[in-house]
Amino acid sequence: MNPRNLLSRRNLPFAALLVLALAMPLLIGQNMYFLTILVLMLIFIIYSSAWNFLTFSGQGSLGHAAFLGLGGYASSLAAVHFGLPPLATLLLGGIFSAFIGLLIGVTCVRLREWFLAMVTFGFAVIIQTLVVSQLAPLTGGWDGYAVPKLVPSPIPGALSIEYYLVLAIAILVLVLFWFILRSRIGLALAAIRENETEARAAGINPVPFKLFAFGLSAFVSGIAGGLEIFHFGYITPEIFGIDLSFWPVIYSITGGLGTLAGPVIGTIVVTLLWDGLSIFGLTYARFIIIGVLLVLIIIFLPRGLISLPEEIARKIRGRKE
Amino acid sequence: MDGGIAVLGQVAFWGLYAGCIYILLATGLNLIFGVMKVVNFAHGEFLMLGTYVTFFFFVISGFNPYILLFLSIPILISVGVVVERLCFRPILGTGKLNEIFISLGLIYIFQNAVAMIWTDEWRSMKSPFADMTISAGPIQLPLDYIIIVAITALILVGLHIFLHRTTTGKAIRASSQNRKGAMLMGINVERMDMLTFGIGAGLAGAAGTLWAVSGQVFNPYMGSVPAIKGFAIIILGGLGSIPGAIVGGLAIGMVENFTAFFLGGSWKDAISFILLIIVLLVRPTGLFGEGQE
Repeated sequence: MNPRNLLSRRNLPFAALLVLALAMPLLIGQNMYFLTILVLMLIFIIYSSAWNFLTFSGQGSLGHAAFLGLGGYASSLAAVHFGLPPLATLLLGGIFSAFIGLLIGVTCVRLREWFLAMVTFGFAVIIQTLVVSQLAPLTGGWDGYAVPKLVPSPIPGALSIEYYLVLAIAILVLVLFWFILRSRIGLALAAIRENETEARAAGINPVPFKLFAFGLSAFVSGIAGGLEIFHFGYITPEIFGIDLSFWPVIYSITGGLGTLAGPVIGTIVVTLLWDGLSIFGLTYARFIIIGVLLVLIIIFLPRGLISLPEEIARKIRGRKE
Repeated sequence: MDGGIAVLGQVAFWGLYAGCIYILLATGLNLIFGVMKVVNFAHGEFLMLGTYVTFFFFVISGFNPYILLFLSIPILISVGVVVERLCFRPILGTGKLNEIFISLGLIYIFQNAVAMIWTDEWRSMKSPFADMTISAGPIQLPLDYIIIVAITALILVGLHIFLHRTTTGKAIRASSQNRKGAMLMGINVERMDMLTFGIGAGLAGAAGTLWAVSGQVFNPYMGSVPAIKGFAIIILGGLGSIPGAIVGGLAIGMVENFTAFFLGGSWKDAISFILLIIVLLVRPTGLFGEGQE
């Protein structure tokens, strides 16, 4: 499962996707509805890629909304109280989120599987509780507060500019992950994921690598959180919600866990399906459809949609023989 | 000072009552974990289904809601059996994360199917014994809560008898202790999986009925947090240990209610996770965990 091979084999579709992404605003013009969907899709690509990066180190999280929310609150508080431009505070949000992420990571390094799932879930609940109770004077409690937009809307074509900004960040994040996974760090992470005891025997101390993965994942999630709230123009504690913790998991599994392209494909497919279904006026039913899709993929396509061409090719070959 | 003690007694009794719901959830989760080594994060959805089944039949029949236990338990047992057969059996042994992921899918399916049928408003129902209280010294105890504690105790005793006195129960315990050994003794382990999952769901269904009867509000999304707390309880009390689930359930119920009383209601959910994190920091496999698998 060397990520380099996986990428080079799929270089062509990736390049096509990139060109399509760059041309998108020109194709759909100033259609606000579609542009909004695309911007949110890109933000979630960043977020679920960050979640997925954690799985490269053999860890996981059911409470990643904690980092999304921390990034959102830290960056918007800095923007509101110090009047800094949103683009600059994004970084602040990411750093704050990474800092808390490292603290949480320290408690998590020794835990595995469902214990880890529980503890990360728990941290999201605890942080949300803090935000609505003891920190309420600062955060406005359940009501939240208004925040400036990433690109002020009076500027002509603000949404297109925002789209390209978010696209640039998404590409930057993916390239960063790609380089890390190719490097010695990536090899160490893979060794830890496959067998922690053997990695230890090979002279790799898992703790700093796991913490690095946790911190970087939290950092990128925090930036995604900042982008999300600067897009909507307000923030409430709902950002720590269970749903927002589960979405990156669903996107990554649908696309293919443990691959760089997986969360990207998964986010695109599920978002399109999601918004497509809402055009038909389905509200609850679309959750059910996504749920059924998830169950089917786990049972029949454990490596996600990204393995679908391979699986089909294998079926066809199998029939010929 | 007499009044203070009365208030504390009252809070302790609320904790006992809340503990009953957690005990039923955690016992079910524990049974399932013991036999299948699977963790079902969608367990709370069975609790939620239990409340809606009770609510639905209460509205159309007007029976005493306690009698509806005889409906909600069998219905939830069947739901559990179907879920095990369709969703959990295919992924058994394919990795521990898959169970968590498949539960996420199930959570979405159940929550929204219920929301489609009964909408997602908060609902509640009124027990015929509401407003009736029994005074024990300075404390006023609602009659419903006493019945709920008694029913929970009855269910647990029934479960104990089933597991220790009947052949099927013994087969379930055998599969839990040693799956391969049970197989060699001619026990159909897969049928035990299905049955155990059903019983676990049935216990959650019973908890659902008790939840609804007590007059607490419910909506299609109410199940997740109690179930995850149930899971925290079995980590605290030891995976696979039913006495641990009972003690853990009571402890969490008490701690939650005292925290809500002293720190404010918003800390009610967070405190069980703080407790869990502290325990796991000291012992990464849980209080009574059996070390590395």
